[in-house]
Formats: sequence, C-alpha cells, structure tokens
Amino acid sequence: MGFKTRIDAAWKAWLLFPALALVGLQACQDGVSNESVQETSITTSTYNGPAARTSDIQGFRISVWEPLRAQNRCGACHGAGGQAPLFVREDDVNQAYEAVNPFINRVEPDESALVTKVANGHNCWEASDSACATIIANYVQSWLGDGSGGGRQIELEAPPENVVGESKVFPDDATLFAIHVHPLLTEYCSECHVDDAASPQSPYFANADADSAYAAVKTSIDLDTPRNSRLVQRLIELHNCWDDCPGNAQEMQSAITRMADAISPTPVDPDLVVSYALSLPEGTVASGGSRQENDVIALYEFKTGEGNVAYDTSGVDPAINLSLSGDMGWVEGWGLEFRDGKAQGSTNDSQKLAQLIQATGEYTIEAWVVPANVTQEGPARIISYSAGTDDRNFTLGQTLYTYNFLHRSSTTDGNGEPAHSTSDGDEDLQATEQHVVATFDPEHGRRIYVNGVFTDDEDETAPGNLNDWDDTYALVLGNEASSDRPWAGKVRLLAIHNRALNEQQILQNFEAGVGEKYFLLFNVSGLVNLPQSYIVFEVSQYDNYSYMFRQPKFISLDAGVVPGDIPIQGMRIGINGKEAAIGQAYARLDTSLNAAEYSQNGQLLSRIATVIASEKGAEGDQFFLTFERLGDYTHVFTEPEPLPLASPADAEPRSEVGLRTFDEINASMAELTGVSQTLSTVQETYTTIRQQLPSSEDVNGFLSSHQVAVSQLAIEYCSALVDDTGLRAGFFPGLDFSINANDISSATWQSQVVAPLMSRFMGENLASQPDPALVEGELMDLLTGSAGLARCTGQCAADRTEKATKAACASLLGSAVVLLQ
Amino acid sequence: MSVTRPPSGPGSALKLITFGLALLCAAPVQSGPREQAKRIHDRIAGVPPSAEVLDQMVSEIEANDPLAAAMLAIENPNFYNVTLKNWATPWTNEEMTPFAPLNDYSATVIGMVRDEVPFNELLSADILYVGSNAPAYSNDNNAHYEAMENQGLNLKEELLRTTQSGVTGLPPEGTAGVITTRAAARAFFVDGTNRAMFSFTMLNHLCRDLEQIKDPTRPHDRVRQDVARSPGGDSRVFFNNCVGCHAGMEPLTQAYAYYDYVYPEEDMEAGHISYTPGEVQHKYLINSSVFKDGFATPDNHWDNYWRKGVNAALGWDTSLPGSGDGAKSQGQELANSHAFAECQVTKAFEAICLRPPVDSADRSKIGEITTNFKSGYNMKRVFAETAVYCAGD
Repeated sequence: MGFKTRIDAAWKAWLLFPALALVGLQACQDGVSNESVQETSITTSTYNGPAARTSDIQGFRISVWEPLRAQNRCGACHGAGGQAPLFVREDDVNQAYEAVNPFINRVEPDESALVTKVANGHNCWEASDSACATIIANYVQSWLGDGSGGGRQIELEAPPENVVGESKVFPDDATLFAIHVHPLLTEYCSECHVDDAASPQSPYFANADADSAYAAVKTSIDLDTPRNSRLVQRLIELHNCWDDCPGNAQEMQSAITRMADAISPTPVDPDLVVSYALSLPEGTVASGGSRQENDVIALYEFKTGEGNVAYDTSGVDPAINLSLSGDMGWVEGWGLEFRDGKAQGSTNDSQKLAQLIQATGEYTIEAWVVPANVTQEGPARIISYSAGTDDRNFTLGQTLYTYNFLHRSSTTDGNGEPAHSTSDGDEDLQATEQHVVATFDPEHGRRIYVNGVFTDDEDETAPGNLNDWDDTYALVLGNEASSDRPWAGKVRLLAIHNRALNEQQILQNFEAGVGEKYFLLFNVSGLVNLPQSYIVFEVSQYDNYSYMFRQPKFISLDAGVVPGDIPIQGMRIGINGKEAAIGQAYARLDTSLNAAEYSQNGQLLSRIATVIASEKGAEGDQFFLTFERLGDYTHVFTEPEPLPLASPADAEPRSEVGLRTFDEINASMAELTGVSQTLSTVQETYTTIRQQLPSSEDVNGFLSSHQVAVSQLAIEYCSALVDDTGLRAGFFPGLDFSINANDISSATWQSQVVAPLMSRFMGENLASQPDPALVEGELMDLLTGSAGLARCTGQCAADRTEKATKAACASLLGSAVVLLQ
Repeated sequence: MSVTRPPSGPGSALKLITFGLALLCAAPVQSGPREQAKRIHDRIAGVPPSAEVLDQMVSEIEANDPLAAAMLAIENPNFYNVTLKNWATPWTNEEMTPFAPLNDYSATVIGMVRDEVPFNELLSADILYVGSNAPAYSNDNNAHYEAMENQGLNLKEELLRTTQSGVTGLPPEGTAGVITTRAAARAFFVDGTNRAMFSFTMLNHLCRDLEQIKDPTRPHDRVRQDVARSPGGDSRVFFNNCVGCHAGMEPLTQAYAYYDYVYPEEDMEAGHISYTPGEVQHKYLINSSVFKDGFATPDNHWDNYWRKGVNAALGWDTSLPGSGDGAKSQGQELANSHAFAECQVTKAFEAICLRPPVDSADRSKIGEITTNFKSGYNMKRVFAETAVYCAGD
C-alpha cells in the first residue's frame, strides 16, 4: 500500500489540533456531545536530529516514529535516555530505526513484536489494548506496505496436533427420545410437522410413531449443546410457540438436556478417516490483506468485541472513538449490531472529518453492512455526520431496498437534499452482508457502489463545493444524532476516506472482504504419507451463528514436498467430534493431489465456500476433516436409511357427491338442452359469469353467489331452447306454444313439459336422483299451483306459455339434479 | 334471438336448487348399475350421459365389466374439452387457476391422454398438439389455442399430434415435453431464476411442495451465488429455511440453464421461449455478489442429490443414471420416479372422486392403480379405473 497520502492526512490532522482546541467549547448540537471518549490528541516536538539515511528509514520516520514518539504515546518511556528499545528516540531517527528492527516482522506486520506486546497489555494509551495494537499495526503496515503489490504472502505456521475429541451420539434406540422430547413434539408441533398434516412441514419429527419421529429429529437436536438444538433455537426465534416463547424454549431445552444427560460421550467413529483437529484461535491469522487505505481518515474494524467504545483505528488523530448506547451489541468476528441504538463520536473529534474532507473537496464513505430487513425507512441512518434530522454534512441511509446519500454542498441544502439514491427498481440494498461505498467528487458528484459495482445511478444534482460544511456535527452510526432515525442492522467495517475511491480501488476493498479470518491447517501428513502436509481452509466467523470455510487447498510446509497422484474424495467438515449435519459443500469432491496443480502456494481443491453452524462459539468449537478417501485410506460414507413412510391416519370421511364446476355446468346445460355453447347469447352470459360459478367440487363451498350465476346460465339456456322452434319441437313434442297458457290443462303441462324436462334432465330410474314425485310436484306447483305461472285471471299474455316453459326448464336445469354429481 | 327472461316468484329456480340439494344430501342411497353408470359418466365427462349411453354403460356393468363402461364415458368429447382441460390448466400458470385459457401445455396433456402416449414422456418428449384452426400456432402468442376454445372446437377430434422441433424451432434435444411449451415458459421461465419451473414441476407432477421435501443434509456445493447464507445477518435462517430446498433443488434446476422467456417491454404475453445451447442464461448468474463464493453455473449439467437421503423415498428409477445434461434427461428423471406416477394417479383420483384419498382403502387403491399405470403409463386407463372405484356401492 502506498502510504504517502495517508500520512499526509495524518500530518494534516496534527496541524489541525490547535484549531480543534480552540473550538472545543462550541455549543452542543441536538443530541451531540463535544466531549472526547478518550484523550486522543498527541503532543510532539520539532525534530532537529540527523536526516533519515535511506528511504526505508524515512518511511519508518513518517509512519511509525512520528506518531509514536509523543509523550502520551511510546515516547514517554522509549525515548532517548529511556527504557530500551529506544525505538522512538527523538535525537536520532536512524538509531531509532536500528532499535525497532528486531521488533518488526516484515512478512506479517500484524505479528510484529511492536504490535503484539501492546496487544498483550503493554501500556496502551486507549482503554482497549486491541485498539492500540491495531493502530500500531496500521502504522507498521503503512511503513512496510501491504497492498500495493496486490496482497502479501501469509506465512503459514504449523498448528498444534490435537486428536479429534469425543462427543455424544444418538443411540440407535428411540426410547430416550420417546421419554423426554417426543411428548412435547406431539403435543405442540403436530399440526404441521407430521407427514399427514394438511400442509405438511418437513422434518416430520412430530409423527405419532416415535421411531419415525426420532429418525427425523436428529438434525434438530444437539446433544453436546442442547441450547443449540434447532428445536430450541426455532422457539427462541418465535417460531410457533405454544404460549411464551422463552419459556417454551427453556422447556424444550430442558427436555433435550434430560435426554442428553442420559447419553455418555463416545469417541469419534474410529472408522472415519480424519485429520487432526483445530479450533479457530489455533489457526494462522489472515487479517489485513490488500485494502486500499491511502486516504483513510477514520477507520472502524470493531475488533475490540466488548465494552462501550468502538475505536477509530485509522491512526489519524484525533481518533473519533464512538460511544455505544441504546439497544445494540457486538458481532462475533468483528462488527456492531444496531437494533435501536447508536454509536456516536464527539463533535470535537469529529471535526477532523470536516477539516480533512474540505481540504480535498472529495470523500468516500465505505462500509460493510448487513441491513436487518428491507422494510425500514426514514431514511434510517446507517452512517451520519450530522446534528439532527434537519442538519448534516453527510448521511448514508436506508429506505426499503435503496441506499440514500444525503450530502451538504453548494448545490444542496443544509439537510443534504435533494438526496441521491439507488434506483428503487434495482433493489440494490438487500438484507444480507453488503459492501457499500458512497463517493463524492467535484467531477462525478455522488455515486454509490454496492459489492464493488457502480449502481449506475447518476447524481441528478450538479456537484457543488463543500464550503458550507459545519464542523460542529458528530459522526454517528446506526441512528441520527437526535436518536430518532434508528437503523437496524450490522456494521462490520467503516472507513472514511478524504478522497473519492475509484472503481478499481473500491473493487479491491470489496475483494479484500471483512472480518476476522484464520487459516486453519488440518494436518493430514499421516494420511498422505508426506511431511508437514495440511488441508488449509480460510475460516472466518461469518456471523454470530456460523463460520465460513473457503478456499480449501492442500499444502505442505516442507518446501521439498510435491505430491504424487494422491486421490482425495468426499471431504467433510467435522465439528466437536462429529461431521456437521448441514453445510457439507465438499462431500462430492473427487480429485487428486498432484504435481501439475501443486505450487508453493499449494493446490486449490474447490472454489466453493460453505457455512457451518457454530455450536460452542469460536473459542470452544473444534474442527476437523473427514475423508471418504485420502491416499490409501478409505471410509465408505453411509447415508442413514430413508425413513419408511408411516401410514397417515385416516381422515374424516368426505362427501361422496360433489358439485359440477364452471365448465362442467356449462357443458351439462348445453348437452341437456341441445343448445350450442357457442350460441352468442349463451356464450356472452357464460363468459360474464364464468368465474362466479363454482370452481371447486366441495359442496360445503357452495355459495349464494354460485346459485345466482347458475340460475342466470340456466335461464339463458332454457330461453335459447324455447326460442328455437326446431329445438323445442324436439324437446317438447306435441306442445302447441300458441295456445294460451291458461287454456293448457294441468295434465298437458305435466305430460308435455314437466315429464320431458324430468326425463332429460334427471334421467330415469336413478335412485341417486330426488324422488320424481316430489320434483314433479314442485314443477307443477310452479306452473299450475295457486300462484302458478300458467294460471292467470282471465287470459294470460300471449307469450306466457313460452315463459312458463322456460321457467320450468330453468328451475330444473339450474337445480341440484343437474348441479350435483 | 332475443332472450326472454321468465317471471320470477316464490317458486322459482333458487327454491328448487335448494330443494334438490336438501334431497340429495339428506340420505345416501344404494347404488345399482344405473346409478354407478351415471356417476362414472358424470365424473369422467363432467356431463350427464344420454339415455342411450347410460343404457350401454349399464349393460357393461351388468356384464361385470365396469371398466368398459368407463371407457364409454371417456368417448364423450367433454372428457377432453372439460375434464382434462380443467385438470391440466392449473399446472400451466403460476396462480394455478383453472380459469386460464387453453394453451399448448394443456392441449399437449389432453392429446397425450387421448392418444395414450406413455405419460412418463410428459416432461421429456419432443411432442406438441395443435389444431387446424386459424390463427396458426405462434411462438409469440396463445391466439391459436384461445380461438380453439372460443369456437368450442371438439378437442377430441381437432388436436393433431406434432413435434415441438417441427413447429417451434427448438432443436429436438432442447425439447422436454410440456416443460418447453410456450405456456410453461411464459409461466415459469419468465424473469426470475428458473427455479419456478422446477418448484412448480415438483408441485404439479410429483405432488410435492418443496417444503415437504426439505433435506438440509444434502451437499451445498451447487447452491448459487444469489442465495444469501446469512439473510439479515442471521445464518440460522439459511440453515433452517433456505438450504433444505436449495441444496437439492439447485443441481436439478441447472438443467434449465439454457432457457428463458423473452418478451417485448410492457407486453409479457407477446414473448417466446429462448433456448441458448452452450450458453448459460444471464438469470443464472445474477446477484453474484450476494455470496461470491457460491456456485457459478457453467453449463446445464444436472445431478439428483435427492437420490440419497430422505428423498430417496420418492422412488427414483434405478435404471437411470441420476445425472445428465439438459431439461430432457432431467424430465425423464422426474417422470420415471414413483412419486410422479403416484402423483398422476392421485390427481386423477381427486378429479374423479371429487375428494382426496382419506383412508387405507383409498390409499391401497391408489397404490394398485399406480402399479398398473407404471406398466405402459396409460393415463386414460387411470381415469377409467379411478371412476370405477368411485362409482359407489
């Protein structure tokens, strides 16, 4: 990494200090404190000693010696005449250089004794040893450089040789499960997690049959750590609790604990082909990497992992250390999680942002974030340099699926509006870990990059200047300074640069990743019969609940070793004595370790990464690898036998009859009346009411709206039948429609209208149809009863005979004799 | 012709409907051959039989050959125009509505049943059914089939068997039965990531919602880059809700890597299927930064991880390799499973018996019909056998 610009920024910060002191008593903004969390200013004197003899010494002077020689840094003890080593002696930087060299690891600057000594508790000037160590590590990296060459070579170290430990395994017999856990499952989970549920949800651990439930539940129970059981965790996540979730989770955990307590730990399966075991801290630290940080002026990596202060480890003083308040916490593997809280710096310390950014006229807000959801708005403040809801220099916020970038300039107002946002439709913001970068420069204005890629949203506001920035505001994360625009999510890294990073630099930082990473070297020397041979994974704490394993490769630390053609198949990751149930991405690995693919950096085995659930936390979890085949060693992986499908219990008897549905009704009416479905009047009506007709055969779903639609359609078909003289002559042979309805005898109505209708629509001699006498009675009552349609006072209207016939037809056609099947 | 509406009054149609319902629901009746024949016809054709057909069916039943009676009902055109069309239409759209118009997917199902084409070719054959009506089949719209439906054409007579490769221009190796019909592409290859095609095929043709076949223990190596491993920063969501489906689904869905449905902007109905052999569709590679160390699809090679684990119970055909390239061989894998056969029988059962199987007698019958079905995969016979079973005692 080139360090000149960054150190320039540091120098600017020191020059700035007297000015900060002058404004230190400015009035507080709304919710903004001007008090520093820690004393972060430094005091140095002018150097009058000999000039640096080499460029390396000059680099040491600028990057390490100057910031550390202050009296409130290392200069208090390790200056001239003080305690050895005199690496910050102020009389001669060349001698200081000679003194520091034994304590510098040029291959791994992070591992320099100068860093580790402080990390282990040696006179840190901050409250956190890790914060001081990070700052010094950054100084050393600035001196030696770690990024300009595209990444440095990690020096892998041989880990301790731990034999895989023992763990509890499930007994073959389901008795313990049936006694302790199964009753809870059958009582509370059987509405869904049984294979014959109305909407069955796998796994079927609540089946009434304990054996099948036991076979299904094993991946949901953790015998070594009952609380980590998915049965417990799902209740903690509020998944269908039966009353009080925490109480239910405790009840489930207790039941699993009773079951687990009755099981003795067993050693790892002796038939497995296993590597040696490792925990995460036993790996080689892979932090650092090739980030572009030449112009960083505030940096938060959140390595502390505890306490109420998040430290600015940019090394650019004054550090804007952030006070944590409200509902929030630390993320394992580095980061802060905001629920309804904030992390805020003082206005005094935050002044360096305004001063250093105004000096360049451009800047970058770079962060690794994990929005908790895509429903928050406001914008919800992720990172803000502001005083309240109406006053800011800049803010990176969230509104649903978009990132918002508010920024004060000569072309925007004091609230940074109009805001620049990513396109709604693109949904650039997702509720997953994202690298988001917001840049401003006078040429391009505001730009937002997500995961290393420009979102293609151009700033519609002309770029202005930053002359109106207010240096009395505070840097705040996770909320507004006034605490009324909370953002839910995680920030795993924040870097503020006083230059606009270009696309290549942004991509470089995205690819450098985030968080604490280790190389875990699983010893397989004995299996491949080659010295110092390992399968190496890059492992990081992915979130509070899992680890990410990536980039598996084979390597020997013995430079003389080159593998022959050694087969490697079916690699699985083990945790705490057993193979992880979920997350085996290398189970289908089938390749060989060979000289052609092997180099001094090893042989990459897969480009796929996977996540493995955490059980006991990073300190307690022990990992190992198993192989179906490695070299001459083999172990046939056997899948558990598929569960025999239990016969579901008998359901309630269902009706033997059902409704005809829409097309069936239409086709039936056409078939029975002889009227074509494509007759325009019929087709128009059917098209109109089609979706109002029953679509399900279930008689219990029959609605009054269905009745109305059926009647409409029946009337349409019967009208068409009676209006068509040819059709009606065939259907009602002998009936003279010109005779007045009143003059047609009941016997004629019965024999020439009712009888043909019943015969055709109901069929004959069918016990499954209604009693013909009853149907005939109803129809005759309709026609010739006391209020019968065919009976009028005096003469009926001339068309009454047709109408009465249509009515009788429609009454029967639209009735259950046709509608039911 | 003018429509004359009859007068309404207290004794009108609604009263009689209610009356009839009450009568029929009041007490079950003993079914003789006539009642059985009537029900068989009602259920198969969706319409009542004519007196003549009813008599013929009664004769067959009395001659102890109820299957022959059912086959008579199957001759009714409404078996094709109504029963089969409404049976298949919900499979052809994402909303699963039966009210969608006839299309090349549903027409092909109807034709395959009519012609007794082995139904296990449903997801793999180079097959298509069209009519002779205007407008002709088009890759860019459904007008041909909608005209067929609007004109009330007799599908039993009108549908002509042809090939997709001959009509749509897909190469024969790019065809996969109804999967590569225009209607299926419109519904399930449109936008998205093509996972919809797989999940709906599983639902419609293996009768399994993905929720029912979750197996988080399958290897994760094919889960694509667009799947977050820690949604909202909580990987438990991935472990509990995501990976159970994705682990097994992804290596099977890879078979569709060369398919898309492309359409003009603002007119999704005017699109056509796109097939790009050798070139993975962009949709398989979108959102790659969500988990950049996830699987990047290089080709259309598929593997069935569910042949092991709990989903081995789906009954995969051991004579098939369980892996291959493209939708055709994947369709064979799915359609030769026991679950596919059982699903078709169960769907027919529900369509004919108007209810799901409820007891051991029903399940036993479905098992028996499934066994028969797997010998020749004659779907028409499944309808007939089922109708006989549900004809009543």
